[in-house]
Amino acid sequence: MNSRDQALLDEVEALLAMTSHQGHPLRSALERLYHHHLEQRERLERLVSIADGFQQTAQQDLHATRHQLQRQLKRQRKLSRIADRYQDLLHERNQTLEDVSTRDPLTGLANRRHLTKHLDCMAADKRQAGPLSLAMVDIDHFKRINDRHGHAAGDRALVALAQTLKSALRANDLCGRWGGEEFLLVLPDTGLDQAEALVRRLGERLRGLDLRLGAERLVLTASIGIAEHHPGEDYRDTIYRADQALLDAKREGRDRWCLAE
Amino acid sequence: MRQDLNLPGSASTPAIQSDWQAGRLSLQGDSYPENSYELFSRVIDWVEAFLERESRPLELSLELVYLNTSSVKAMMDIFDLLEDAHREDRKVGVVWHYDPRNERIAELAEEFREDCTFSFVIRPLEVSA
Repeated sequence: MNSRDQALLDEVEALLAMTSHQGHPLRSALERLYHHHLEQRERLERLVSIADGFQQTAQQDLHATRHQLQRQLKRQRKLSRIADRYQDLLHERNQTLEDVSTRDPLTGLANRRHLTKHLDCMAADKRQAGPLSLAMVDIDHFKRINDRHGHAAGDRALVALAQTLKSALRANDLCGRWGGEEFLLVLPDTGLDQAEALVRRLGERLRGLDLRLGAERLVLTASIGIAEHHPGEDYRDTIYRADQALLDAKREGRDRWCLAE
Repeated sequence: MRQDLNLPGSASTPAIQSDWQAGRLSLQGDSYPENSYELFSRVIDWVEAFLERESRPLELSLELVYLNTSSVKAMMDIFDLLEDAHREDRKVGVVWHYDPRNERIAELAEEFREDCTFSFVIRPLEVSA
């Protein structure tokens, strides 16, 4: 209310209080109008104050809700972050399990399960068009190494052979431990001639290994059977023929390779 | 006093023991239960009841390894209860034990610890050689 409004009200109040106006026909009507105005004014002020109160509560609610939302968002982000990291952990665990189930723990090479699976995949892959050779490698007189120098020496011989195999092979070749002292080489896009050249190189590297057991230098040799996969042939039969060729190499005096029929 | 929890745990659920008298709650193992709500609501109820009825300290001893998402959420809910209690000057604390061969678990425990103002210790387990 401004001062002009207040001055008017003061003037009306003063006029009503003057005794000289008692009995004037307009006085009673003015008095009623004056009181009516005062009531209206009070009501208006109350209304404004209630509306302000509501607005303030709404503001507070809004603020609290915003705050809660921020908290929830932060919490949600934390939850997702931790859950994601647990998922990574699980993934790593699976990877480790897969490694354990497909690798030979001593040599780090593929194990028999992995080799078989690899061959099955190759058999299922119809695009596999080129020649394929398999070579079965067996350390000569492995039992003698074990008996004479102990199992730790035998393990060293196996690891040394595994490293030599790995270093002699090409990127797409796969070698693994088939069992005991037997290793299988899977040589894709390789005919018998090429396989033979590769195996010759391998034999030379093997003989050149400097494997010392105490004062004694152990000369490592291997017998190897090579078979080329025939179109339509079951891989198990190719492995069988490589195995037979390996036996031939053993029979012929070891430290050599033989080709399968 | 309230009925204590003593759950043996399985491949997918943690072993859980509570000791109202000692003010201690322990969880060990992996947690990816089929119904994590059912499992953890019992734990959360126990913690809420303890904090409400007792004024003694409460300690959580954890040796958790793998947690699925709903278990992560349940643990965050439990830590929130502890945080609220701590803000009311209650003595509460967490000790999270982990296998030192698996540092990743310690890192995850650290993620949980973020924003917690109560005592939250991450400690390697003693492993016999």
